Amino acid sequence: MHKGYLCLVLHGHLPYVRHPEHENFLEEDWLYEAITETYVPLIMAFERLVNDNVDFRITMTLSPTLISMLSDQLLAERYLKHINKLIELARKEKERTRWQPEFHNLSSMYLNEFSIARDTFLRYDRNLVNAFKKFQDLGKLEIITCGATHGYFPLMDICKESVRAQVKVAVAHYESVFGRKPRGIWLPECGYHPGHDEILKEAGLRYFFTDSHGVLHGKPRPKYGVFAPVYCKGTGVACVARDLESSKQVWSSIEGYPGDYNYREFYRDIGFDLEYDYIKPYIHPDGVRINTGIKYYRITGAGNHKEPYMPQIARNTAADHAGNFMFNRQKQVSYLYELLEKKPLIVSPYDAELFGHWWYEGPTWLEFLIRKIAFDQDEIKLTTVPEYLEENPRNQVVTPSMSSWGYKGYSEMWLQGSNDWIYRHLHAASERMTELVKKYPSVNGVVKRALNQALRELLLAQSSDWGFILGTGTHTEYAIRRTKDHLLRFNRLYEDIKGNLVDQNWLSDIEYKDNIFPGIDYKVHQ
Amino acid sequence: MVQLKRKKIEVKTKKVVKKVIKKKAFPGSKKLKVLNSLSSRLSPKKDVLREQEVAIGTAKFSHAKVMFAQDISKQELPSTYGWNKMALVVRDPWWLYTYWEVKESTWDKFKSELKDEFYKARRVLRVYDVSNIIFNGSNAHKFFDLEIREDAFNWYIDIGTPGKSWCVDFGLLLRDGRFITILRSNVVETPTDGPSWITDEEWMIPDEMFARLYGMGFGLGKSSPAGGVWRKGIISSPGIASMASPVKKQAPRSFWLEVNCELIVYGATEPDAKVTVQNKAIALRRDGTFTLRFALPDGKQVIPVKAVSKDNLEERVITPIVNRETK
Repeated sequence: MHKGYLCLVLHGHLPYVRHPEHENFLEEDWLYEAITETYVPLIMAFERLVNDNVDFRITMTLSPTLISMLSDQLLAERYLKHINKLIELARKEKERTRWQPEFHNLSSMYLNEFSIARDTFLRYDRNLVNAFKKFQDLGKLEIITCGATHGYFPLMDICKESVRAQVKVAVAHYESVFGRKPRGIWLPECGYHPGHDEILKEAGLRYFFTDSHGVLHGKPRPKYGVFAPVYCKGTGVACVARDLESSKQVWSSIEGYPGDYNYREFYRDIGFDLEYDYIKPYIHPDGVRINTGIKYYRITGAGNHKEPYMPQIARNTAADHAGNFMFNRQKQVSYLYELLEKKPLIVSPYDAELFGHWWYEGPTWLEFLIRKIAFDQDEIKLTTVPEYLEENPRNQVVTPSMSSWGYKGYSEMWLQGSNDWIYRHLHAASERMTELVKKYPSVNGVVKRALNQALRELLLAQSSDWGFILGTGTHTEYAIRRTKDHLLRFNRLYEDIKGNLVDQNWLSDIEYKDNIFPGIDYKVHQ
Repeated sequence: MVQLKRKKIEVKTKKVVKKVIKKKAFPGSKKLKVLNSLSSRLSPKKDVLREQEVAIGTAKFSHAKVMFAQDISKQELPSTYGWNKMALVVRDPWWLYTYWEVKESTWDKFKSELKDEFYKARRVLRVYDVSNIIFNGSNAHKFFDLEIREDAFNWYIDIGTPGKSWCVDFGLLLRDGRFITILRSNVVETPTDGPSWITDEEWMIPDEMFARLYGMGFGLGKSSPAGGVWRKGIISSPGIASMASPVKKQAPRSFWLEVNCELIVYGATEPDAKVTVQNKAIALRRDGTFTLRFALPDGKQVIPVKAVSKDNLEERVITPIVNRETK
């Protein structure tokens, strides 16, 4: 009989990047890369598991911005163009490397992967959300929602109306896509501020995740630490905390898996390595070298010297790592079972884009792990939070502590010298949005359109991704531009609405550019 | 039972003018890097796990490198919104951040009321500890003042003691010691830096057991934001030594050189001919020309190129032989 539960969570999110006004837009590649390297490999792994009758449970966030991009027709067209170019490049590579068998085999591997990516994309009607929905309907995948545009809630506490809008727009969007309400939410950046559970409850959400210290530092002290959910005081919304030990096993520099010398090296890409004229058609049209996704080397060691990648050896390593991860969870679960006299719940959340994009072998590792858990042991049971709560309804009542999973565990990543200037403007826009909702409780026609667009612009400006990129301090131009563009559009809408001077042509133009959440209702911002 | 002790540093004095700890950087300021490094030096914890996560998070946005001139917004965001406002937010258990804006007409009002005194007064942030009370302006447990630059409009405040509620006034400290409030912030509560001291009766749990749980919750216990004292005192996980090393980094590139060779084989024949190169069929362009490009490793390559006419009656073979030797 099992002695504990493991809840694997993949947080899938990308900021909304869609520029119909430009034929080629570099940042749209974030989505294309994630489709080819992360989402399709995950879907393929899920398909194999289902075909082999392997039972499994995975919890996955699909952020509303990610869903919107995956469902967008323009981006789908562009992805096909992108993947076709990659297939063409992989074919050329097969020719070029004819006298280098180790690279020749790798180019065949990429050609195969890119072809599978295209086929899978087409098979699900150019919308991979259909695939994830299928696994949810099969009971294998628990899809949770996120902030509408991944706004960072703790720094929005001063304007709770915006937190509410982030949550309610997300829930409504989820419902329109999946035909039912979401049960859980991944708070963007795992950012929790006491009191926000009230907003989650209003929206019908039953659980959310925090980082370890969110629960460990909660009041009163949690009896079972991070190994059981707690109910938020006053609302009863369940709060589930991440287990740092299992996180470290994957992330950490020393014992972390992705740094293994047999794994593929992320930073060596033919977009940078090959002769300029040859690679030019596959990098940015302006001639700037970028990653193509074809990478021929393994990590090899700490130095700059890299050896060719050996897929079979990497695959064996991924299997070993999956075994190691499971072994450690078994030990952890047995130990905790004795200590707590209760079946512990181990929560292991990861950025979905870690799997495949950064850690090329990640999806393989995950598939091995799921198979091993299903067949090689009986101490751990994979679960989702609703399933766990069904079996273990009685839990302690605690007020979780403010926390995030960002650098140093609080808000510093999004609030430091390089990005703190945005909050004055973001908060002002929130305040103005609230004012507009009060002033125009029920309007129609162009004013209503303008109000809805104002909320879209505000939400888009709030994405934590801009603050994050500004916080890292490199290549910040795009993040600055997005923050400013959306706020400037918002400010103009605010002035125009109040002056009853909405310029319809301009409004149509920004509706076309920032077309996210077609069914948005501005009145949620209150 | 494990003793639970925690360092308590409290500001007892009623009025302490703290020296500037961290001056706010204006957007785009060159001081930024210095400030950031200062802030990381001041910050009490190193966070290896989350540093790694930042590196991986950055990889997600790997292409944010190029900016096109036409895309840069020509407009700027407003520098003021024409209102009186002071906002206070929590950065972490030890730091708050505040920004504010004062309307011109409000400044004018104080100027005309205070006359000369206005210009001699110091600009001050008064930081009130308002834990567990409804603050009415005069019932704070304690407060301290931070003198700030005249042109500042935001500030990071080092509050030192986690787990309390705070409110901040922006105002003028007159020469006679009077403090004039111009703006008052919202109230915020900072999180604690360790586990709660509240354990309710029904769920009482032996400290020793909780301590073990606590250690496990943080894995190897070295890079979490959990309270330092608590950690040092209690947790000794067998794996702790292995966490000592920082994130694995690429060795810094200094000077370097890389050389590779490729070989281009090209030619032409009748457009409808069948051509093989090293016995592998290739496609011709419409005009009968072809170009092949190979990565050229060291050693000898024999490259027979054979063309056969459409009717299979004629055949030509040309065989370049290429030697590459690298010294």
